[in-house]
Amino acid sequence: MDQSVLILFAIFIPIVLGVYLLARPDYKSRVSLVANASVGFAITTVLSLVILIEGDLRLDVFTIGKNMNIYFHVDDMSRVFGTIVTIVMPLVGIYAFEYMSHYKKEEKRFFGFFLMVYGVLLALTYAGNVVTFYLFYELMSLSSVPLVFHFRSREAIMAGLKYLFYSLCGAYFVLFGIYFLNQYTITLDFVAGGTLNMARVAGSEGLLLVVAMSMIIGFGVKAGMIPLHAWLPNAHPIAPAPASAALSSLIVKMGVFGVMRVVYYLFGAEFLRGTWVQYTWLTLTLITVFFGSMMAYREKQFKKRLAYSTVSQVSYILFGMALMQSQALIGSVLHILFHAVIKSALFLSAGAIIYKTGVERVDEMRGIGKKMPKIMWSFTLCSLALIGIPPASGFISKWYLATGSLATEIPVIAWLGPVVLLVSALLTAGYLLPIAIDGFFPGPDFDYKHLEKKDPTKQMIVPIMILAALAVLFGVLPNPVISYVTELVASVL
Amino acid sequence: MSQYWILVAILLPMVGGVATRFIPFKKEKQMFFFVEMYMIITSCIVWGLITGGTTEVFHVVHFVNDLSISFKIDGLTMVFAGLVSVLWPLATLYAFEYMEHHDRQNTFFMFYSLAYGVTLGISFASDMLSMYFFYELLTLSTVPLVMHSLERDAILATRKYLYYSLGGAAFALMGLVFLIVYGDTLEFQFGGVLNMAKIGGNANMLLWIYLFAFLGFGVKAAIFPVCEWLPTAGVAPTPVTALLHAVAVVKAGVFGIIRLTYYSFGTGFLRGTWVQDVVMILAMFTAVYGCSRAVKESHIKRRLAYSTVSNLSYIIFGVTIMTPLGLVGALCHMVCHAVMKICSFMCAGAFMHQTGKKYIFDMDGLGRKMPIIFVCLGLSGAGLMGVPGLAGFISKWNLAAAAVDSKNPVAYVGIVCLLISALLTAIYMMSIVMRAFFPPHDFDKNTIRNAKDPGWKMCLPIIICAVFTLLLGFFSTPLVQFFRTVAVGVY
Repeated sequence: MDQSVLILFAIFIPIVLGVYLLARPDYKSRVSLVANASVGFAITTVLSLVILIEGDLRLDVFTIGKNMNIYFHVDDMSRVFGTIVTIVMPLVGIYAFEYMSHYKKEEKRFFGFFLMVYGVLLALTYAGNVVTFYLFYELMSLSSVPLVFHFRSREAIMAGLKYLFYSLCGAYFVLFGIYFLNQYTITLDFVAGGTLNMARVAGSEGLLLVVAMSMIIGFGVKAGMIPLHAWLPNAHPIAPAPASAALSSLIVKMGVFGVMRVVYYLFGAEFLRGTWVQYTWLTLTLITVFFGSMMAYREKQFKKRLAYSTVSQVSYILFGMALMQSQALIGSVLHILFHAVIKSALFLSAGAIIYKTGVERVDEMRGIGKKMPKIMWSFTLCSLALIGIPPASGFISKWYLATGSLATEIPVIAWLGPVVLLVSALLTAGYLLPIAIDGFFPGPDFDYKHLEKKDPTKQMIVPIMILAALAVLFGVLPNPVISYVTELVASVL
Repeated sequence: MSQYWILVAILLPMVGGVATRFIPFKKEKQMFFFVEMYMIITSCIVWGLITGGTTEVFHVVHFVNDLSISFKIDGLTMVFAGLVSVLWPLATLYAFEYMEHHDRQNTFFMFYSLAYGVTLGISFASDMLSMYFFYELLTLSTVPLVMHSLERDAILATRKYLYYSLGGAAFALMGLVFLIVYGDTLEFQFGGVLNMAKIGGNANMLLWIYLFAFLGFGVKAAIFPVCEWLPTAGVAPTPVTALLHAVAVVKAGVFGIIRLTYYSFGTGFLRGTWVQDVVMILAMFTAVYGCSRAVKESHIKRRLAYSTVSNLSYIIFGVTIMTPLGLVGALCHMVCHAVMKICSFMCAGAFMHQTGKKYIFDMDGLGRKMPIIFVCLGLSGAGLMGVPGLAGFISKWNLAAAAVDSKNPVAYVGIVCLLISALLTAIYMMSIVMRAFFPPHDFDKNTIRNAKDPGWKMCLPIIICAVFTLLLGFFSTPLVQFFRTVAVGVY
């Protein structure tokens, strides 16, 4: 027990607080709501930091049935995901205090569910076996739905339901796999390198490959991988901006995390390398990378464009994982970290623009850089990072991905992969940079007279600036991160 | 405990029920108290019996040869009798409040109690004939409950129910007759009673007979293509639909199928034959069919009824795997589904009772007004769709584990069907909960100004069932352990 009990606190304090916020009657003043919620954020963040620094904690809570333990284990991979949650959630929370003040009536509900999601996300990163992971994975779907349809317009509700049913559909694909793994593994705990029981597997390899594919597709739903990506461009834009930021940078990553656990910690890369599963998976990710960028390029609605960008970028990560090669996997893990930071900053700045000006389409955003310079500067920096222009962070992860791909001996995909990545990077530049260019250089016919400074309050700017700074900083000083990730990858591959 | 208590347990609610009809109570309250008292006493006796360890056969009446009405307590009895004896007093408590403003309450409670005794009879029956006897009685004693309102649609529904059930029983009788001819005895024995020497070259015919008898019992278990009576019978008052059409009657059908498969024909005889594939595919199909009909249905009780159709087939799917683990899964889902479904039916009834409405689109915004009801409904709904930590997850886990373990490719497809059906369950249950808690932003709150949670008599059973759903989800180990011993025929 000792320190590992902290895990329980970090998970259940925000969940309990969230439920409390939802259940209690409305606050008289907004201040007490904000105070209450921020205490929740603060405590959780501190606890989570302590756990991250401590590392390697184990906690067997109890068993709900044979082979079904609720078991937490903070390993190196947990720490990567725990880090992004701990960076993004509190910053988005601070931002939300300002952003949501616009929509007075239902703030309480927003923060209630937001806190719950915080706890559930942490629980996911700490989960030590697949049953615990699945438990919190479903809870995450259920507790994040109200964030999606927060405004409760018909459109929002439909998007929320779509999100829910896609998520559950994915979860059941996964569950299908878990049922079989229960029979064919030594333990359902996550063990680097896989836990398949080869004696039992012998003769049923074909079946297990189907199972693996089903689990990859299942978790791929959350990660926005084709063929079950369609919920993402609906659900992310319709949510309030802080929620979209959390969805796009964190919740999506939990799908990635699930795939990571399945491939590298249950099946083991050895079992899947060179099979049809790997090739199908690689193909799917490459199609998604290209498709996402293309759709983003064509999309005029700002937040929707960012959502398509998420579809594409997350499949970069999946592509790297599917290669099952150490360089590429390093790239993937780095991109997990970088994309989380970048995408949340992008969504938050989009939110700030909508919040202040009400403009939702990119073609109406001319001159926005003059009105909201601080926001747009952060936006531009993050765009550069996402495109992968050195020295910003995206460059490093993409470099690893490309070299990793070239180092494999997979036919066609070894060279096609980097090509697709490059094309997609080009498209990324095509859909992000014009916003910045038009924003800062609106052209001679722009009406400078009625220009007013519209930068929002510090509460909104500071989180965005911190995230943008991180996006650049990771690129300039990547070595500590890279060495950590290299060690991590060496242990699973 | 002496085995004579079995007779007491079966007769007490029957006698009490008849007495309820004829004692001139001054106040409703007295009647309620009287009914609840003998229900609880009966349940206590039942629990005394099943924990008491009596295993002798107790013959009540002897007909010719070895035909008799006789009782015995074995593992399956413990599960089924234990289950109904917990739920019956709860549902009765619920019925008091629900039936408050209805006519002919004493008649209602008479038949409600009769059905209790008869159901216990089914579970204690030690041979096919005794079970058949009580099985028919169950049909007859529940008919007046279905048509309680005496309105036209109730009478039509009753007629349908009666025809389906009697027809089914006739098919079941066929199985009984052939068991007399080809079996050693009619008594239930784990592993089956068929005498291979007598069968000779007639094995294939016996498989056909099994199929017929399976479909016969399958009527009550609402298996496709004989499931349509169940949603129609939803016109009955909610305590009847909740208890009888989600637990007692339909599970008696499943119980019959288990007796038929594991204790009469024997899995050794059936496993690996074409008939196993047929019944398994029927169960799989029904599991998906019921759910898809439920999604289409907007009448709350009919939706839940179709959901029952689907879930009963989960149980039957477990049965048709025909391995001990399959039986474990089946029993597990039998218990878990009973708890969850009775809870959701009671919630639906509470909604109808408090607002007078019946359709799902009338539920907008009620979550805040009737928090207890809708939180419990949400919980049982999440349980039905199999969220981990709730009862449904455990039972599906066991079913799937059995299917994987059986190494039968058809059963693998069955897992897929279970999951498709789980997704559909999510659609039809979650859309209700969403509506109730998150109405569209332009929703007019004044339309539901007066809605509120019902009184304690309705809330208490609902809460208890919701708590069971949670407890089963987290502390299922001893129960599953017990099912394992049952499923290898220890008891």
